[in-house]
Amino acid sequence: MPEQPLQPFSPPTALLTYLPNGITTTSMVEWALYAVFAFWAVYTIIAVYHWLKYSHASWVAFPAIAVHLFISFALIAYALSGTLFV
Amino acid sequence: MKEFELEQGEHVILQVRKHWFLFLGELLPFFIIAIIPFALPKILPLAPPLAQYAGLFDYSVPLMRAALGIWLLIIWTGAWGAFTRYFLNAWVLTSQRIVNIKQRRFFSREVSSLFLSRIQDVTTDVSGIIFSLLGIGNIKAQTAAEDVEFVMHGIPRPEQMRDLILKYVPEEDAKPTGV
Repeated sequence: MPEQPLQPFSPPTALLTYLPNGITTTSMVEWALYAVFAFWAVYTIIAVYHWLKYSHASWVAFPAIAVHLFISFALIAYALSGTLFV
Repeated sequence: MKEFELEQGEHVILQVRKHWFLFLGELLPFFIIAIIPFALPKILPLAPPLAQYAGLFDYSVPLMRAALGIWLLIIWTGAWGAFTRYFLNAWVLTSQRIVNIKQRRFFSREVSSLFLSRIQDVTTDVSGIIFSLLGIGNIKAQTAAEDVEFVMHGIPRPEQMRDLILKYVPEEDAKPTGV
């Protein structure tokens, strides 16, 4: 087998140009974001339910939930800043 | 405490969880995965065939910002879930029993009790340099029935916990004989 230089693979942005008609890059990214946020919301609700059911009396419970929500919303805002607000 | 009701005259003496160092160990994979998007742009130029891909990690591009935000959100949520499980796992020593609360995963919880009056032997096990320095170890409480063991893994200051357990184990003479 002759030695050949490595062939570069297509970056994600280039792959997105081959989308079928009617589907835009923006809509794909938005749907991906919705899917991740839905997963995050379900996971957070389940975890908060466990905190409140089993550790409601602990002083750690509410700060832990508050920190999670604060950092999560900051990351969500950062993710959306690239798509919705630009 | 919602998991179990205290008997009359019973009170909680101590509640312990795994040592924080072991929890940090659980967080390490999340940390490593989290820094990958920041490390790759610096690592890729070191390998010339891959150097051209370093430019992909430009977080001023909207798509990459969204990708980074999602990446970090998933990792953060996973790490917070690990902390939730860490916190919900606990051993509670009361004046009458040891309660083991195991939260294996969400919606999988086991609460078991071992009455101190049944304990015959309590063994501590601290092995390893770091564990010795930080005072992390295991405690094994053995009952008269050979197959019944109660093991607490990775708890802080196991010797103190053992002494506390033995302090509250009722004396043999004090037990009611039923005669």
